[in-house]
This record gives sequence, C-alpha cells and structure tokens, in this order.
Amino acid sequence: MAKQTVSPAVSTPAYTPRKEDFVFLPKRDIETDKNFASQSYWKGVFTHFFKNRRAVVGLVIVVLIILFSIFGPMLSSYGYRDIVQYRNEKNKRVVAKGISPQIPALHELFYGEAPDNSFSEYTFLFGTDDLGRDLWTRTWYGARVSLLIAFITIFIDMIIGMSYGLISGYFGGRVDNVMQRFVEIANSVPRLVIVSVLAIFMPKGMGLVIVALLLTEWIGMSKIARAEMLKIKEQEYVLASHTLGAGNMHIIFKEILPNTIGPIITQVMFSIPTAIFTEAFLSFVGVGIVLPECSVGTLIEDGFNNITTLPYQILPPILVLALLMLGFNFIGDGLREALAPKLEDM
Amino acid sequence: MTKYVLKRIGLAVLTLFIITLVLFLLVRIMPGNPFPSERMSAEQIALKRQEMGLDDPVVVQFFRYIVNLFHGDFGKGTSLYYGAPITTVLTTCISNSFKIGGIAIVLGSLVGLVLGITAALHKGRFLDGLCTVLSILGVCVPSYVFLIFLQYTFSFKIPFFPYFFDPSRFLFSSVIPAISLSLFTMSTIARFTRNEMVEVFDSDYVRLAESKGMYGRSLVMKHVLRNALIPIVTVLAPLVVDLLTGALVVEKIYGINGIGKLMVDAIAGEGIDYNYVLALGILYSALYIGIMLIVDLLYGVLDPRIRVSAKGGDD
Amino acid sequence: MKKFFVLLLAALMVFSCTFTAVADDSAYLGVMLSTNVMSLDTNLATDGESFEVIADCIDGLMQMDAEGAAIPAIAESYDLSDDGLTYTFHLRDASWSNGTPVTANDFVFAWRRIAQEAGEYAYMLDEIGNIKGAAEIIGAEKADPTTLGVSAPDDKTFVVELNVPVSFFPSLMYFPTFYPINEEFYNSLADGTYGTSPDTYLSNGAFVLEDYTPGTASLTVKKNPDYWDADRVQLAGIKYQVVGSSDNALTAYRTGALNVVAISGNQVAAAEKDASLANNLKVTGAGYMWYLSFSQTEKNAQNGKLANANLRLAITNAIDRDNLVDNYVMDGSLATYTAVPPQFAASSTTGEDFSADQDRFTDYVSYDPDKALEYFEAAKAELGVDEFTFTMIYGNNEGDEVAKVAQAIKEDVEDALPGLTINLQPMTKAERLDKMQNDNYDVALTRWGPDYADPMTYLGMWVTNNSNNYGFWSNAEFDQLIADCTTGAYITDYDARWDAMLNAEEIVLQEAVIAPLYTKAQANLITEGVENIEFHPVALNRVYKDVVIK
Repeated sequence: MAKQTVSPAVSTPAYTPRKEDFVFLPKRDIETDKNFASQSYWKGVFTHFFKNRRAVVGLVIVVLIILFSIFGPMLSSYGYRDIVQYRNEKNKRVVAKGISPQIPALHELFYGEAPDNSFSEYTFLFGTDDLGRDLWTRTWYGARVSLLIAFITIFIDMIIGMSYGLISGYFGGRVDNVMQRFVEIANSVPRLVIVSVLAIFMPKGMGLVIVALLLTEWIGMSKIARAEMLKIKEQEYVLASHTLGAGNMHIIFKEILPNTIGPIITQVMFSIPTAIFTEAFLSFVGVGIVLPECSVGTLIEDGFNNITTLPYQILPPILVLALLMLGFNFIGDGLREALAPKLEDM
Repeated sequence: MTKYVLKRIGLAVLTLFIITLVLFLLVRIMPGNPFPSERMSAEQIALKRQEMGLDDPVVVQFFRYIVNLFHGDFGKGTSLYYGAPITTVLTTCISNSFKIGGIAIVLGSLVGLVLGITAALHKGRFLDGLCTVLSILGVCVPSYVFLIFLQYTFSFKIPFFPYFFDPSRFLFSSVIPAISLSLFTMSTIARFTRNEMVEVFDSDYVRLAESKGMYGRSLVMKHVLRNALIPIVTVLAPLVVDLLTGALVVEKIYGINGIGKLMVDAIAGEGIDYNYVLALGILYSALYIGIMLIVDLLYGVLDPRIRVSAKGGDD
Repeated sequence: MKKFFVLLLAALMVFSCTFTAVADDSAYLGVMLSTNVMSLDTNLATDGESFEVIADCIDGLMQMDAEGAAIPAIAESYDLSDDGLTYTFHLRDASWSNGTPVTANDFVFAWRRIAQEAGEYAYMLDEIGNIKGAAEIIGAEKADPTTLGVSAPDDKTFVVELNVPVSFFPSLMYFPTFYPINEEFYNSLADGTYGTSPDTYLSNGAFVLEDYTPGTASLTVKKNPDYWDADRVQLAGIKYQVVGSSDNALTAYRTGALNVVAISGNQVAAAEKDASLANNLKVTGAGYMWYLSFSQTEKNAQNGKLANANLRLAITNAIDRDNLVDNYVMDGSLATYTAVPPQFAASSTTGEDFSADQDRFTDYVSYDPDKALEYFEAAKAELGVDEFTFTMIYGNNEGDEVAKVAQAIKEDVEDALPGLTINLQPMTKAERLDKMQNDNYDVALTRWGPDYADPMTYLGMWVTNNSNNYGFWSNAEFDQLIADCTTGAYITDYDARWDAMLNAEEIVLQEAVIAPLYTKAQANLITEGVENIEFHPVALNRVYKDVVIK
C-alpha cells in the first residue's frame, strides 16, 4: 500500500490520527470537472496535431500510399498476376520478363545502356519481375495486402496487449505472476509451430497470417504497457484518484492509460514492419499468402532473390515501406505530442 | 529479495515444464511426416516409428522424453541430420548463434543508445531528423539486405572480410553478420531512447533539476536516461531473445550453421523433426523466461519505486 | 572521435592480416553445395550432397567412368554365373585410412547393416538389386541379417546371390548404399557417432574427411595419400560450402571464394551476356524429371474427375513446355514429352538413349491448344460437367523456378481450357509428399530423380499399388509388361526388355498418367583452369578423382 505522511498538527488540542481516519472513499463514478475543460479534449488534440508540420507531412504520405494501394493497380492495364507476353512473327512467345523501369535515366543507371525496344509500347513504370508481371501493379497490390494485414493485426493487438499489460502491471502480485507466466508460455511456442498447427484448421492465405500475427504480436505491446504501468502506478496522482474512490478499471483506463500512450505509439510504429516481415517469412516457409498474390514483404523477398540480375526489383517495395514508416513515425510523434499535452510546445 | 528470486526460478522451471508439454503435444499434431520418404515401404516406416516409440500413448512418450531430458539426452534427428545425437549438432549451432547474436546485441544497444540520446538532445533539429530517418531505414530494410550489401561491398568489391562465415576465424568473419543483425535493434533502441528521453526531459523533476543548475552529462545520465531506461529494457528483452536464436536468411546467406536455420529446417525441411523442434523450442523458452526474469529484476534496480515482487496496488 | 576510428581501422587491419595469413585455401577446390550434408552414413544418407561427399571418401566395388559406365574400383574384376544369379567380386589390395586392409567382410557387414536397419535406400537391395533374402529382412521386425545372400569365402572374394538376373547390377555397385564399412572400426565407436566427425569416419577412397560436424555449412576433405589409386588424384582437397541462394553463389564465384557453383536460370541469362562468365558456363544434366501427377481417386478432384483420361490429356496438351524451359527455368533444362527423361538411360547393346526421340508420343503429349480443347470437350461430354476447379500443390523449397513454373502452367491451362481453374497451393516439399502419400491432392507438381541408369526407375513407379503411384492409376496390361521386364520373360533378353519398356511408356502417356514437363539441368560455373570434373545425372552427381587445376 502506498505510504502517506501526515504533517504534524500545529494547533491544539493534539489529535492523534487513528487508523479509521485513513480509509478510501467508497467506490463511485468520478465525474470530470467540466469547468476545467474549456474546450473538448479531442478538439485540442486535433488542432494541436495539425499545427505540427511534420505530422501533417506524415499524414499526407500515408494517405497517398493508401490511395495508391487502392487505385494504383487500376491505373495499370495489367493485373497483379498477369504475365505480359505476346507472340512474335515466328509464333514464339515473348514474355516481358525482367524489363527494367521504363525511365531511361534509371535504366542507364543500372545497365549503362538505353532500354531495349521490344516492349517499348508498353508502360512499366517500375519494370517487370522475372515472370513478366508488371511491378507497378504488384507493388500497389502488395501494399494493399500488407497494409490490411498490418492495420488489422496491430489494431487488435494493441487493444489486447495494452489491456493485458496494464491489468497485469496494475494488480501486480499474484495476478501479475499468473498473467506473466501465461505470456511466457504463449510466447515460447515458436511461431512456426503455431502457424503450422493453425494451418490444419484454416485455409492458407491472408486470414491465417492475420490470426497467426494476432496470436503472437500482442505480447510485445503488453510488455511495454506493463512496464509503463509499473513505473506510473506508484505516482501520487494514482493514489489521489484511489483516495477519491475511483475504481480499478477507472484508474487503469482513464487515469493511467493516457500517460502510457507515448511508448505504446512508438511500439505500434515499430510493429508495422515487424508484421510485414513476419508475413513475408510465413509466406516464405509456405504458410503465408498464396501465390500469385503478393505483399510488400514477399515483394522485397522476390527482389532480394533477384538482386544481382534485376537490381531494380527490390527498390519499389522497400521505398513504399520506408515511406510508410516515415509517415507513420511522423504521425506517431505528432499524436504523442498532441495526446500528452504536457510537452513544452503547448 | 533472495526469496523472491528463488520463487521466480521455481516458477520458471514449472513454466518450462508446461511449455515442454504444450510443445510436445503441438509438435505431434503438426502436418508433415517425421519419416519423409519416397522409397521406404509402409513396413519400414512402421518399424522406424516403433523404434522411436511414436506408437506408444502420448503420456508414456512424454515422460520418457522428460526422463531422457534429465539425462541430457535430446534424442536423435529423424528427418534432419539423421543418426547424429541432437546435442552434437545443437552445441555448434548455439555457440555460433549466441556469439554472433551477442555481438549484435552489444553493438545494437550501445550505438542505439548513443543515437537516441543524441537525437533527444537535439530534438527538432537536424541531428534529430537524421536519427529518425536512420532508424526508420534500419527497421524497414531487412537485415539480410544489409548483409548482402555489406558482403558485396566489403567482401567482394573491397575483399577485406571473408565472403562466407569461417569458424576458424570466428571474430573476423562475424563482423558482417553481426553488424547487419544489429541494425534492427539499433534502430528500435535509438527510437525508443529518443522518445522516452524527450518525454522525461519535459517532466517536472528534470525541470526542477535544471532549475537547480544541473545540466549536461550529469543531468542526462543521472536523471533522464535512468528514467527512460525502463521501456528501453522492455523492448530490448525480446530483441535479445530473437538475436540469440538466430536469423534464418542471414545464416543461410553467410553460411553460418546457427539456430535460426536449424529451426526452419526442422519444421519446413525434408520432413518435420519432432526432436529438433522440441529441443529448439525448449531452448528458446528457457532463454525467454530467463531474460524476462532478469528484466523484472532490473526494473527494481532501475527504479526503486517499482517492486514487482511486492504485492502492490491493493485496496 | 576521429582518432577512435583511425585506431579501429588499424586494429581491423592487423586483425585481418593475422587471420588471412593462417588459412591458405588456394590449393583446395571450392565447391558449392546447395543444401547441408545430412549424413555421411551410407545407411542414413538420402540426398545428392551427402552421396557426393561419401563417394569422395569411400570407394565401392565399382566406380563411374566419365560417361557413367561402371568400371572396377575395389573389385578388380567380377565373375557372373551362367544363370546370371551369382556375382563373385575379386577385391584388390586397398586399405582404410587407419591402415587396416579393405576386405570382403567390410562389404558383408555394411550390406547386412543396411538390410537390417532398413533406411530410405534399403530398397536398392531388394526391389532394385533383387538380392536373395533382402526382401525378407527389410522392414521385418525380427530379422536375421545373416540370411542376406552375401558372403565372404575369403578376405578378397565377395559373393552376391540374386533372386533373378539383374542386367544393370554392376552399375548399382557405384551407388553409396553398396559401399563398405569396416566392422571393427564401426563397433569401436559410441552409438550414433559413426560419420559425425573426421575421427569417426574411415576412408578407403580418394579423399579423407578433414573438417566436418553434422549440420555444418562448410566442410573439407583432403587427398588420401593411402588411396589405392592415389596417383590418379591431383587435387589437394575440396572445400565444400553450403550456399543457400544461387544469387549469392554467383558473387561467391566472382570473388574466387568458390570454384564450382550452380546458378539459377535468371543468372544463366545474365552470365551468357558476360563474356568472362559465358566461357566457364557448363550445363549438365541433373537427372530429375518434373511432371504433374493427377490423383484419380474418388475423394479428390471433384469426386474423381481426374480419373477421366481425356481431361488429363487436355491438361497435358495445354502446357507449353518450351515456354517453361525457355522463359522460366532457363538453365538448359530440356522440355520433355516422354515418361522417361532423355539423356540418362542408354541401351547397353545399341547405345541408343531410351528417350532420344522426343516426338515419339506427339499424339498424346505436345503443346497444341486446339487438340487440348478437343480432349477437353470430350471430357466435358463424358463427365457432364462444364466447370472444373483443381488445386495444384507444389514445393516452395524445391528450387527457385518451381513457383514460376507452377504459375506459368496455371496461365497456360486456364488459357487453353476455358472453364478449368487451377488454384496454386505452395507448401514445403515434406508436406507435398505427405499429401501425395495420403492421397490428399488434386494435381501435384513433382519430380523424380533416377537412382540407377535404367528406364525402370521411372516406369516401375506406375505399377498398381506401387508406393510411388500417387495417382492410384491401374492398368493390367502395363502391370504385366513391367512384371515381364523385372522378374518374368524378358529378364534375360536385353533388347526385348527394352522394347517392352517402350510399349509400357506408351501406355503411360496414352492415358496421361502423368504430364511430363521438363528434365532438369544444372548450370554450373567452373573456374577457368579447373578441368575434368565428372558430372552425372545418376547416383553421384559430381566426381573429382581426375580433377586438375591448371
């Protein structure tokens, strides 16, 4: 129990405090002081966020990539799985494989020569892969798949992980002990084993990847939330709230949660590439998304496999991922500052 | 404190036992065949299963396994490195992965801390932006892409480091894989350190310390960093486990026989090798549990207000 | 800070100098392995990499010459009894690397051990070699290995008795399953340690194991000075390095870290353009034939729709095999239209390759979308169904090109046969095999590598209830032909047997039991000046006994 000091009473008659004096108020709903909030909290967050130039840039980048991932594939005349080919005069198949980006300057950079002309009437902005598929379409299609996977899993993981960690850290003692041992067990089964077993019950594909990520990725989040909780729960305002009769859940989710948001946002940002690469790893060992579907992760891997022969292939997915990360980090920084209005630029 | 640690170790052993049981059961329902074969007859395979005791009740199998485990016997491979006792294969793999992973951890966390502190001290200025971009690149570009880049540059264009891992020149040939592996850790730590420190800089007690005339290194070290360390240690812990247990692609490309490749070979290689999956799973769990224990103890050291051990937060 | 870097750099320099000076690998041949060596125990090894290293270290009764024919090794000569059932091998004076002589008992011990422990390749003893007693021992719970039909009347004479004459028996003798093990040495080792380190492995061959642990990514063998044919071996040793990606192999080759590497199709195209590489490119047959297997049982493929021969013929005629090898495999692999791949089995009487004529079965296997559509219409009429959806499984760890081939096949088939959809389902090779063995698939992209140089290694698989007959196809006429070739009327008449096998092959293709696709080749880069590496599609993929470095 938290310690309390009582300032020595100056006035007479001397009063010896008794134990009964120090009981918490009975549990009750704590009403927020309406007078204190001159404007709505979220409105403040909103204006604060948009005043931050970097945050806005980040938002623009992310929105652009989302737009491209929705509309990008439509801008190209080839589907993500179409092999572009034609038959020449001798009725021999000519496949548009390994065409470098149709930007002469880029081509010269990689090959020291102008692009060949056999497919010059086609437009491959990002080039084609070693099967003859348009990388522009595939990149944006892959971005769509990866974004979907990342958003769904991270959103759910954040909710599960945060609640789990906060509760575990808050109650401490036996509750914490049991909950943490469970985490250890859950985290100790290698991911590949879990996914292989899951694959018996579920068809392979995006659903399986999402479930697999849901099962394992919340743990990191919960660890962060728990550590933050351990750090914060001994602070005075928690005690104050307690004294006023706030319930445990009120303290955890209304009082402490907003103060843990910083590290959690950082963790969320870093979960995105982890989710994307885990998905690629799963696809690599055959339990991920099913070909000819693609994702940013599998595209990076394809590019990597052809890095000496088709060096341009790895660039678009990596750039998309990097821009996405940059955007998310800017947004994250902006959000953190907007949500925790104690920073100096208030 | 000692009592707490002992209790935790006792619990860890119990947890490990449960994990072994869970793994033992899971491995047996995994798809794939422990005796993959295109040439053996059904009788031959039946005989092999019998030799391995795979037809006995699972409970019997499990207790036999536990008993063997106490004798330090992890069994033999069935579809991977057949015949050789697992311990011989595992020892080399563990030693390689631990050493390279260890270097990567030290490198990654130290450089990450320095980068993070630099960024935090220059918040909003050029150095901060640079560190942000660097750390974003570090998490976006997979370690194997860095590896191939380093390998291409420093083993091929400038033939300085060996092109493949060479156990007889351990340290020297670990440089390239260790650096590539450390980048993710480095970026994550740099980012967390920066964000945590920025937050701590704005807290009242740092303001107080500043107003009392404290500045520079002592302020950073004494007040800011120490308070920022808790979330940093928390993110570092699972990264340590990941790094120590190897990285498939890096091992594959640089020709390292490490744990990461072993695990994938055991599950997704020619067949599924029960004994290897179990041995590696137990190793991984033991590492994870051990490191989490250390982290929980570290919390108390870093911030004396935190007492994970005590029963706190009660009414 | 600057000072620090300078110091660091200096330290690294010193570091590198001291270390580079230690090892001088230049005299060793650097060779790439694509996967880890699984075991050096002849009873346990199942992969080409393991067989290659085993054969570096151990000589069997016979060895391969450059063309793949069997020539004497430990056996100086052999006699065959008139009934063709008893081989008597006369051993030469050779010794193990610990000085003990190689005796006939080493073979007796090793062969009995294989039969008793009954590993993957034990079937070479009974099903292929037809050695007396083998079938009774292998797979039996309590078997007496001494009933195997092998004996050692004296140290230098080894006698094998067969159930039926096996025309290619001597050529089996270079396969590692039939290699000797020194009994005394083997028994002196702790259980499970044989072949796990240089100390626990005896060599009687061209090289001895120098550095090896199970699971290692690199291993070395060095010249065996006590080899019976030591004068023939010029190489100081071989340094093997496991290279997981062929992309990396090319760079490793360029650095000189490796002298012999296998590269992928994509790189072949690039290497052909690069004059410095093109000269050193050598395409060799890898032996494997890739084909589609169709499950014909009720429980798969929409209640056994693929049991319809016209449907299978439609698919096999819709695939553009030239496109597959030209545009996707690209490593010199051969488009294949026969059930037995070309360039691995030549007749011992005429010398003619069994599958030299790839147009022999054009009526059943070709690329002809119009014909495919005809077959398809016929199938639709017979089955009364217009729409088909099949799942095609393939391994994602069986080579870079497999996924590409699968996608190209999907495109071709769906293009030519409207109404037929093929869904791709990648999985590990182990899972693919598991699914096929449990008859839980529609179509599988699979492969078979020959274990011995006879067409029977491919044709024997389609016999009713053969464990490799994953389609569960059955044809009495075919079964009879194969029985006649293996145990019946044709076993003593080589040419009649040859013709019978051609007839059997025709039945397989007529019914499209499988859709042959291509015969895998291997594109190798070999450093200028390294000569006389022997490449074989069967048994031992690479042999280094004659290699010279100029």
